[in-house]
Amino acid sequence: MNSIAQISHLVKNYGEVKAVQDISFDIHEGEIFSLLGPNGAGKTTTISMLSTLYTPTSGDATIGGHSITKEPMAVRGIIGVVPQELALYDDLSARENLNFWGNMYGLTGKTLKARVDEVLEQIGLADKANMRVKTYSGGMKRRVNIGVGLLHKPRLLFMDEPTVGIDPQSRRAILDSVKDLNIEGMTVLYTTHYMEEAQELSDRVGIIDHGKLIAIGTQAELTRQVGEMDTLRLHVGETDPIETLVKALQSMRGIKKADQSDHTIDIITASAEEILAPVIIKANEIGVKIRSVDIQEPDLESVFLHLTGRALRD
Amino acid sequence: MKKIFLIGFKDLKLMFRDKAALILMLVAPFALTIGLGLATGQMNMGSDSGISDIPLIIVNQDGGQLGDALVNVFESDELEGLVAPTLMDDYAAAQKEVDEDNTAAVLLIPAGFSDSIIPQEGQAYTNEPIDLVLYTNPLAPTSVSIIRSIVDSFLSQVETAKTGGTVIIGQMVTSGLIAPEQAQAAGEAYGLSQTGGQDSSIAIKSLTGEGEESEVNALAILAPGMALMFLMYTVSNGGRSLLVERNHGTLARLAVSPSRIGEVLAGKMFGIFLTGVAQMAILIVASSLLYKLHWGDPLGMAALILAAVIGATGWGMLLCAIANTPGQVSSIGSALMLIFGILGGSFFSLSYLPDWAQWVAHISPNAWGMDGFTTLALGGDITNLGKPILGLLVMGAVLFGISTLLINRRGIVRA
Amino acid sequence: MNKILAIIYKETKVRFASLSEWLFFLILPIIFTLVLSASTGPRADADNRILLPLVDQAQSVLSAQVITELESSETIRIELVTLEDAQDKFDSRRYNSVLILPEGLDTENSANEVEFMQQPGSMDAVIAKQAVQAALQRVSSISSIAEQSVAEAEKVKPFASDADRKAYYDQALQNAESILSSAPARLTVEVGLADDSSDDEILYDAKANTSAGQMITWVFIPLIGLSGTFAYERQKGTLRRVMTTPTTRATFLFGTILAQVLTALVQMALLIGFGAFVMKVNWGQSPAALVILLVASALAASALGTMLGTLVKTEGQAWGLSIMLGMVMALLGGCWYPLELFPEVVRNIVKVLPTTWSMQGLLDILLRGGSVTAILPEAGVLMAFALVFFVIGVWRFKYE
Repeated sequence: MNSIAQISHLVKNYGEVKAVQDISFDIHEGEIFSLLGPNGAGKTTTISMLSTLYTPTSGDATIGGHSITKEPMAVRGIIGVVPQELALYDDLSARENLNFWGNMYGLTGKTLKARVDEVLEQIGLADKANMRVKTYSGGMKRRVNIGVGLLHKPRLLFMDEPTVGIDPQSRRAILDSVKDLNIEGMTVLYTTHYMEEAQELSDRVGIIDHGKLIAIGTQAELTRQVGEMDTLRLHVGETDPIETLVKALQSMRGIKKADQSDHTIDIITASAEEILAPVIIKANEIGVKIRSVDIQEPDLESVFLHLTGRALRD
Repeated sequence: MKKIFLIGFKDLKLMFRDKAALILMLVAPFALTIGLGLATGQMNMGSDSGISDIPLIIVNQDGGQLGDALVNVFESDELEGLVAPTLMDDYAAAQKEVDEDNTAAVLLIPAGFSDSIIPQEGQAYTNEPIDLVLYTNPLAPTSVSIIRSIVDSFLSQVETAKTGGTVIIGQMVTSGLIAPEQAQAAGEAYGLSQTGGQDSSIAIKSLTGEGEESEVNALAILAPGMALMFLMYTVSNGGRSLLVERNHGTLARLAVSPSRIGEVLAGKMFGIFLTGVAQMAILIVASSLLYKLHWGDPLGMAALILAAVIGATGWGMLLCAIANTPGQVSSIGSALMLIFGILGGSFFSLSYLPDWAQWVAHISPNAWGMDGFTTLALGGDITNLGKPILGLLVMGAVLFGISTLLINRRGIVRA
Repeated sequence: MNKILAIIYKETKVRFASLSEWLFFLILPIIFTLVLSASTGPRADADNRILLPLVDQAQSVLSAQVITELESSETIRIELVTLEDAQDKFDSRRYNSVLILPEGLDTENSANEVEFMQQPGSMDAVIAKQAVQAALQRVSSISSIAEQSVAEAEKVKPFASDADRKAYYDQALQNAESILSSAPARLTVEVGLADDSSDDEILYDAKANTSAGQMITWVFIPLIGLSGTFAYERQKGTLRRVMTTPTTRATFLFGTILAQVLTALVQMALLIGFGAFVMKVNWGQSPAALVILLVASALAASALGTMLGTLVKTEGQAWGLSIMLGMVMALLGGCWYPLELFPEVVRNIVKVLPTTWSMQGLLDILLRGGSVTAILPEAGVLMAFALVFFVIGVWRFKYE
């Protein structure tokens, strides 16, 4: 597996404020790597350094073999950037925007025209290409914003929280398009504070908090690392002897905890799948009718909670 | 009613917190007034032409009494402060000073000038006239015309004296009162008694429009002119923020609450009005203190300011009603501000414009306001301000009415 | 380079996307130029003299003399009006000045007085007053010559009758008038021209003054507003984005500034064309000098805008600042009123402004008939301004 980017001990200080403290990780070619963390964690600062906007206080990174501190121009030529806020010219059409940015990337003439047409197709705006961006819906504008990052066929695409503040439909479209791009071979560095997105998209995830990378790996590795428990939730009948069941469950092997509230019993266990059968048998024995069963596997939210003691969405 | 006041005062506070707006509301008109004050010479002990210490170089090659007399005129106490003459011997060097824009003009009194006017012993009476030469700087037309009028005045006195001699002696000869041989001597005797200039026996009395004599300071017109011009900026800024609220639906929210659309609009208009009054008051008071202006009648002034702001606010509301985006309000508003400023007489007197243009100018609150301020500056009081105040109030009422209609029709919320 | 062209295209399209930009680009400058030039100096009609409305309440011999004298004035033009009319128009600021010859103004009186109303701050009124003074002096001198003639004659031999005296007086009056009216001017006026001028005869043209001054004002304002362009792109995030492309800061700055300078040159060309064809302004003998000076001015102004771009945070701030700075600098630079009206001290102080030099250069071309050598000093200073401002602006340039 090739690393397309090696980030090594990046630090960014603003005077007293330590925005990014000694971050190191690799990005493998062809993967979607998510940088997950709450607002203010340092995601944007990190990605800004990697896209050569900011100079690191110390540390370095190589992208496609070029150092961000020593060869920023070369780096810019192979990365694509989709910033969090729309960076487009409202008074120009989508085509004109793409033409301009294509020029900024050094594309000219027929090559440029061809690429612009291709990208317009890719983002599904070929028929509305000549209308001014200011007339577009929010979702359409986002698509143009992404399109700009694709023009020069970058090897690594940076997407900085691309779904903040947009409607569910557009968000769905963006997530799908990221997956499509990845299938076509694009490597993506995706920052977000939405756990569901990181979960849905990523091959690997880096969890970042207060400028530090506190965990990194595939999702399975991460949840295993911190040893989180599954939650098995039973919805039971009203008149059933619930307390009896709860007591019995609490002394069962493999069950860490069993709580009751209203007509639900939450069971904390290492593996919900394994304990499911014994629990149902026990319930039958005691005479509790199980209406429905939920299995909540550990997720990144719980990983974050475990590592920091705070919720991701604080 | 109370809601109107609440909305109004809230908007007033917001306006004064906007630093960018404050630049154009207060700093710019002040800076321009100072600039204009400099240009009209009011910053120094103003001569009433607004120009002082005109640099003039005199090259006197005459050697006769008229040459000296002319130099004395320019060096006299009467012209001190208006003209600052220097004497040079080298005409070419003096011309160079003009070419390098260091002086307004060179007055060359050529040799033989006096001789060509005052008959010398034994010479023929009629000589070839020897002209004074005024070598002028094309960049200083006003200075040149003032110098020229002084020279003309001197020449006219000289001419008068010469003519006087000719007429008096000539007439005495033709009517046989003296013999032709005596003419020469009599002429000299007469000429010598006319060395001084003669004052006109008809005096000029300066009046103001109201028939009183008064000292008038040009800044008394310029300062309000600038204030009025930037008042238009304030009201269009107010219109712009009103439009922003319309677009964001906060206006509709206000309207849906227990108050009618008219009330809400009235509240917003009141806010714009308050801001405009505050701005005008600050500017007029500050410039009056700084430039020591005297206004005839404080009550009249207050009434005029209120009326002017009402008129202007109407325009702000209209802008909000017809524009589609806040950006449009800003740019049309700025353009209007400048056009009204120039048409309304903020930069120069309306008398230069043809009649129809003066009429058109009165669509602007500036024109009416300037009419009123001029009257005040010339010593009028509130009783003379009837026309401008009425005009401004009508303007405000009409525009407010149209705006409300338009806003109602086009919807209180705009996408 | 393609990138520069792309930036220029983008800049121009974005700027002129709003119709209101045209207001400041062409419409306002033209309006201002037309209106302001109507206010100064020569009028479109044949008679260029300043209007002086006159109310003759006296209807006497003396008042007739005054009127006759005034009618031959080179600087003012008399129009006989009624008192009510005059008062009304003066109050509504349509008349700058009014001369009233009151009842009782007559040669019989010993203390004669005329009344003069003038609008404050009006140069024309001041000039009119001077013309009136000169005329009054002439009138009174003619009558005093006649009086003296009678007096001198009487010293030699008293008159036989009042009728004789009157006849002698009238004859004297007539002689005096005829001699004075055919008296030579005794004054030659020459205009100082630039050394390299090829034109012998250039008359002061107030329209030229106004055209030049307004052009500088309306070109400087949007170029200073360049500061807003950077603020806008900063706000939009597009500036930041450009910095992530393999386009250097220098290329971007250069392209953006060049776009504005080119637009300004087009604007100036249009305004010059307007001045030349519509207002019949003579833009001087040397197109080369004009081009050099205008380019230098545009560079200085855009450099100033670039430098200010590092100071302003929002487009709104930039807008307000550019209008205010533009107008104040233009005013102090002599673009609205000639610098000759400013006190000496101030004339020296305003040399720190680029507008002063631009105006000086334009006036050299327009009023002195200067060509390239005449304006090189001004062009040089403007380029120095441009250099200094650019250096500061680029050094402090931030993309967010």
